Order: sequence, then structure tokens, then C-alpha cells
Amino acid sequence: MEKVTNQIPKNISLSELTGEQRGLLNKILSPVISLSAFVGFWYLMSLHYNSQLLLPTPRSTFTAFVLFFKTPDVWKNLLLTLERVLKGFSCAMIIGVPVGLLMGVSKTATRMLDPLLGCFRQVPIMAWVPLSIIWFGLGNGPTIFMIALAGLFSVVLNTIVGVRNISKDYFHAARSMGAGSFSIFRHIVLPGALPDILGGARLALGGGWMAVICAEFIATSAGFGFAMVEAQTRMETEKLLALMILGAFVGYLMDKCICAAGNVLTQWK
Amino acid sequence: MIKLKVEHLGKTFSRGDDTRVVLGDISFEVEDRQFVSILGPSGCGKTTLLSILAGFQDATSGNILLGNRKVSRPGPDRGFVFQNYALFPWMTVKENVMFPMKQQNVPREERERTAARLLNMAQLDGKENFFPKELSGGMKQRTAFIRALAGRPEILLMDEPMGAVDFQMRQKLQEELESLWLKEQITVIMVTHDVDEAVYLSDRVIVLSSKQGRILDDVFIDLPRPRDREAEAYEKHKTRLNSLLRKAFKEI
Ligand SMILES: Nc1ncnc2c1ncn2[C@@H]1O[C@H](COP(=O)(O)OP(=O)(O)OP(=O)(O)O)[C@@H](O)[C@H]1O
Ligand SMILES: [Mg+2]
Repeated sequence: MEKVTNQIPKNISLSELTGEQRGLLNKILSPVISLSAFVGFWYLMSLHYNSQLLLPTPRSTFTAFVLFFKTPDVWKNLLLTLERVLKGFSCAMIIGVPVGLLMGVSKTATRMLDPLLGCFRQVPIMAWVPLSIIWFGLGNGPTIFMIALAGLFSVVLNTIVGVRNISKDYFHAARSMGAGSFSIFRHIVLPGALPDILGGARLALGGGWMAVICAEFIATSAGFGFAMVEAQTRMETEKLLALMILGAFVGYLMDKCICAAGNVLTQWK
Repeated sequence: MIKLKVEHLGKTFSRGDDTRVVLGDISFEVEDRQFVSILGPSGCGKTTLLSILAGFQDATSGNILLGNRKVSRPGPDRGFVFQNYALFPWMTVKENVMFPMKQQNVPREERERTAARLLNMAQLDGKENFFPKELSGGMKQRTAFIRALAGRPEILLMDEPMGAVDFQMRQKLQEELESLWLKEQITVIMVTHDVDEAVYLSDRVIVLSSKQGRILDDVFIDLPRPRDREAEAYEKHKTRLNSLLRKAFKEI
């Protein structure tokens, strides 16, 4: 068996592959096929419209993308935006996790905070833009505020769910082993809610990444979202598309990072 | 010596005007180092009784005396083995076993020593750093058992500790549980609905009836250990308990 997998036969037919190899092939081929189909469709459409302004070809978009590596401006804007996201995200976690834990363990806290949370949550995040500009002016202030706000609700709600879903038996077990309130909080509530807290963090980071770009369209004169508006006003659609692709990449990477961190922290799951 | 005294214990659940008596008027005494099973049909209040003894629920009336102290809140003097084991999934086997000792501020060295002894006794050597999800049903059961022992309780309360394993495994676990219990010499109250399990393990079986949760009978099983499941006396006890259980079931 070892030998078969190590040597690559000249004329390989699909039926000769082992199940494992077929699985691997499938894993690699499937996304390649769907991606090529998408780019092909894009190419056909761009031929059809034949306008660099409306829909640049995949090729010119790719060229614009490659050009980014020679323009420090793009990276400066990206770093600035990432910094905003991380700051806003941290605020959401620092406020959201304790509030969620409190609401998870205390009925009184829930009764007090639930109506507030329920109302504020219904305000579309973009509706905060004008007020946040009045409060914080332009630049970092309103963007960080909006990222924090966008993430806060998912962090709080997930943390509450996390605490409430911990089996009563664990609390009983800990009490019957002599654990006090602090110990129960430290050894039962925190680790028990952690998977859901991480789920909330993931939503908050993703939501923050989306909120920041929107906020930067309006409330700032630097950053990734601003760069996109700039590309639009200069009618550099291929650069705009390339920025969108870069944005998608960065968002994907951030999501992968937080998932990886989560997997390390909740190995026991 | 009397270890546990249950005096006129009653439990009523009420919702609005609707009240139902789950435990009527339960009184019994348990000798030190006795293995007592509580047997009864489903829904007769076995779990309720045990969780009141553990302090997880309040009784509507009556007293519980452990030694000479009245108990009502949960405490490390009463170890509990849950039907689903309730091992903390975020702690390794060893951390689970250490937990009760840490809560009681047992010095580190002694903690390590006790944990090593218990893990060895339960044949869990080499599994110390496994998480509960990585254990077989039997290993989980043994971990839950020694975790309850690690807190040095005066009495061990077990709610259908073998409910979640299949029939063949059950017999093996019963034998293991017995040998662990023989080594520890601790007072045990075990809830079960399995007659064979009750006869194999217990010094004494308290049969509860469904009707207003009263004690239907109190049967002593005086057979040498380890017990021979084929022996005539063993069968006799089983037959007797089976007919009692049928009677308990009819008393609805
Ligand atoms: N919190 C509660 N509120 C109302 N009724 C309850 C509550 N807990 C238990 N009961 C009732 O008390 C009765 C006894 O329940 P319990 O769980 O003690 O039974 P059991 O003997 O352990 O049954 P099983 O063998 O199926 O586990 C049941 O009829 C149940 O409906
Ligand atoms: Mg039960």
C-alpha cells in the first residue's frame, strides 16, 4: 500500500485510485472547478458589456491586484482599517463578555438589561453613522465606535446562551464537591460558556470587518473603505474590484485565525 | 453505627392549585458502610429522593441527619455520581479527579498521591490526560466514581450509575464497582430500577411504590461477596424483588 501511494503511475485512471486519493482529488478539484466557472462567467460578461468602467475583465482586475504589491498606500490603508477593527472588536469583547456572563448567571441583571438590549439591537447599525459622527467627529472615533457596537450584540447574546446552556448537573456536581461561588464561576461558568463566547467573537469580528468598510465610506478620510470610495470616484473600477477581493481575503483570513484560536482553546470539545 | 437518618421526608410539587405528592412520608436509617439500593418503578421519585439527600432540591417536610448533623445544602460530605456522569468536559480525567480535593484545599502533594491511588484503583493509568469525550462509557463511569470518592465524602449517592451502558457492560461494571466499594468501605445509596443490579450490589434494598412515594418494603440481602448470579439464593432474592416491583407498579 505504501508503495502505491508514493509512486505516481504514468497513466492514472480514476478507478485505480484509492478512496483516500479520490477524496483528496475531490477536495482540491471541487473548489478549482467552481472558481474557474465563476471567473469564466465573469470574463464572458465583461466581454458582453465591453466596458472597463462597468465591468473590468478578470485580467485587468488581476493586474490591478498585483499592482497593490508596489503601492504602499493600499497596505497603509489596510493596516489602519485592521487596527480599527481590532480596537473596536476588543471593546466589544471587553464590554460584551462580562455583561453576557452577568446576564447569564443573574435573573435580575437579565430583567434589567434585556429590554435595553432588545431595543438597541433593532437599530440598524448604519443608522448610527450620523450620530457617531456628531459624537466622535471624523476618523478613528466613529469607525471604532461602530465596529464595537456592531460586535457587542453578538458577543453579549452568545455569551448569555453559552452560560444558560451549561448543564445544571455541572453546577450541582461542583457544589457537592465543595466549590464556592467564585470557584464555580472560574471552573464551570467560564469554560462552559467559552465555546459560545468564541462563536460570538467570530460573529463580532466578521460583523466588525463589514461595519468598518461601510463606516469608512462615510466617516473618514483614510482606510480601506475610503480607498474603495476613492477608486470609485476616480472611475478605477478594476482597482475597486481588486480591493473587494483583497477585502474578502483579509476577512477570510481573520475568520480562519479566530477559528484556529478557538480550536486550541476548546480542545476538549 | 447509624450514618444517615432520614426522618419523615416529604416532597410535593405544586403548580398553581395543582399539587402532587412525589414523596409521602419517607423514613429510614442507613448503617455505616452499608450499600443500600433504592428500587422502584419509573417516576416514583427515586431521583427526587436522592437529589434531596444531596441538597440539590429542598424537601417539603422532614429532616436529613448525616452523622448527627442536619444537612440541607449540597456539600462535600455527600459525594454524588450522576446518571450521565457529569464529568466536566473541559477538564482532563486527572483534573476532574483533583477538583474536589482542590476545592477543599487539600495540600498539593496529598492531592497528587490520592489522585494517583484512585486512578490506579480504577485502572485509569495512562488515561490521566484524556478528556471525557475520549473515554469509553465504562471509563467515564469509573472516573465519575473516583471523582466522587476523591472528596472524601461520608456517603456516596449514585443515581442509576449504570443506566447509560449496555447490558453486558453493566455486569462487568457492577463487578468493578463492587471491588472499588470493597476497597473504599464507604456508605452508598444507589438508585436503580434494575433488580439484578440491586441484588448483586446491595446489602439492603429499599423498594419505593409509585403511590405517594412511600416505602413498600425493605429487603436485606445477606449473601457472601462476590455474589454468584447463578446461585439459588440469588435467584430467590431476584424473584422476591421482582414481585415487589410489580406490586409497586400496580399501586398507582
Ligand atoms: N421539578 C419538578 N416539577 C414537577 N414535578 C416533578 C419535578 N421533578 C420531578 N417531578 C415529578 O416527580 C416524579 C418523580 O420523578 P423522579 O425523577 O424522581 O422519578 P424517578 O423515580 O427518578 O424516575 P426514573 O426511574 O424514570 O428516573 C415524576 O412523576 C415527575 O413528574
Ligand atoms: Mg431518575
